[in-house]
Amino acid sequence: MSTLLQVDPTTVANGINNVWVLVVTFLIFFMQPGFALLESGQVRAKNVGNVLMKNMTDWILGTLVYFVIGAAVVGIVGGLTSGGDIAGAFGHIADSNAWIGWLFGAVFAMTAATIVSGAVAERMNFDAYVLFTVLMVAIIYPVVVGFTWGGGLLSSSGFIGGALGAGYLDFAGATVVHMCGGVAGLVAAKMVGARKGRYDSNGNSQAIPGHSMLLAVLGTFILAFGWYGFNVGTQATILAVADDGTLTFMGSALGRVALVTTLGMSAGGAMAMLTSARYQGKPDPLWTANGILAGLVAVTGAVPHVTWWGGALLGGLGGFLVLPAFHFTVDRLKVDDVCGVFAVHGVAGAVGTALIPIFAVGGFALNQFVLQIVGVGVIALWTIVASAVALAAIDAVVGLRVTEEEETEGLDEGEHGVAVYPEFVPNETRDSTVATDGGELRTDGGCSLGNAVDSSGSAPDPEVSADE
Amino acid sequence: MSESADTPIKMVMAYIRPDKLGDVKQALASAGAPSLTVTNVSGRGSQPAKKGQWRGEEYTVDLHQKVKIECVVADIPAEDVVEAIQDGAQTGEPGDGKIFVLPVDSASQIRTGAEGPDAV
Repeated sequence: MSTLLQVDPTTVANGINNVWVLVVTFLIFFMQPGFALLESGQVRAKNVGNVLMKNMTDWILGTLVYFVIGAAVVGIVGGLTSGGDIAGAFGHIADSNAWIGWLFGAVFAMTAATIVSGAVAERMNFDAYVLFTVLMVAIIYPVVVGFTWGGGLLSSSGFIGGALGAGYLDFAGATVVHMCGGVAGLVAAKMVGARKGRYDSNGNSQAIPGHSMLLAVLGTFILAFGWYGFNVGTQATILAVADDGTLTFMGSALGRVALVTTLGMSAGGAMAMLTSARYQGKPDPLWTANGILAGLVAVTGAVPHVTWWGGALLGGLGGFLVLPAFHFTVDRLKVDDVCGVFAVHGVAGAVGTALIPIFAVGGFALNQFVLQIVGVGVIALWTIVASAVALAAIDAVVGLRVTEEEETEGLDEGEHGVAVYPEFVPNETRDSTVATDGGELRTDGGCSLGNAVDSSGSAPDPEVSADE
Repeated sequence: MSESADTPIKMVMAYIRPDKLGDVKQALASAGAPSLTVTNVSGRGSQPAKKGQWRGEEYTVDLHQKVKIECVVADIPAEDVVEAIQDGAQTGEPGDGKIFVLPVDSASQIRTGAEGPDAV
């Protein structure tokens, strides 16, 4: 019978820490259905299938691309912008000991990618979106990670971080993940153009209500649930091993990230609720939901670094800014950001991360504050330029937008040939040569667009229709 | 049989507030005409348009949610049915709805094959 003394404490700590990382990874993966519901609820019923396809594509193509290319780009950019070594950039592919860490990184990458779909919903060509997702996960996002967590440009060993004598603080990716996704979404929404009918002939915005507030709010709660993995799980070490072999439980660090995450989301929701009640007369569920997410984004970079009340203030500020930032996007920039991703992920991420030193547990440091502002600027600038170039290239190859006819009919029918909410379908097999509406029976769901599958080969001869 | 065959068949078609459906069903049952068909419909009449909002941006809702009632009668006078619906559905505010009475050419009961007033 072995005693605890015979067990290597490093093995115990590694085992527990890695299982913890896997658990939070699965939690972060669960943010994907949250995004799918949140975005689906904010679009019209005719475009829900397209939103769902985009969300699934982000995950399925994203993981493939991030394994083969994206994760290596992190290492390459990290090395090149810090004078470090890039030889091991592709090392994770052959090293099974690196795969838990890779997966933990991958769920963050797919979160960044999926944010974009909310901005460009209801009019972007699916092929163009697929190509953009690939570029987002292969290059745009990994470069940001390389600048920061990858030990590059903005880290303490990078060229900018080293010059300022500090390392850029963004704990779980308020800017690295969320602002990157939010800014890329803003650029994409701008380049794709507004939905038909979003602005009248005078350029004034017109409401296009989504089809289900219920789905949007449920999606928000699921996202918030997954977010505990995102923020608390980034405290990946729960058992630390000292040189003398003693194990320490990191309860204080875990407690701080868990509490600040919670207070941030609640303060964000409360401020958005108050702001909407102040400007619209009544507390608005969608703004409140957006505020919860903006509060989460605002503290995502800050959770281990700030006081509990500082976290609540940052979250509240993120929630407060959602409504004005959305109106600025729509009314001043004239960008049709369907789900408000720039307000929720972009603005809240930038503000929450830039202000970390103001509320820092260890006190204010000017060089850190300067680095935070420079870091936010560098990440935003890279994302804007890279997204714009990527989208311009995609536009030249496949075109960014669906046709006006397809937009009117809905992307579910036009891009995917489905109806998410089918109305009347026969409940038994009938003589398929007789069309019950007296017209031609189409096997492609009635789609008559140019890009639809030509059904003339398989459809029954129109002459046998029931009547004329 | 021949006597009842001469009884005119009428359809009373009414558009009412959805929240008044329970009162109208009660009133119809009291008047002896409990059979009815109900459909959710949208429409506009004298009720003013209202504002909806999405993210604080307002839009006009000028088609209001109403419930359509169809009640076909032969033995019960259509006037009694109209009065029952009127009693059940009235609030006095614009948007209470309308009631129409239409002649019905013929009626058949699918289960029994009965024709005319007997089918109603």
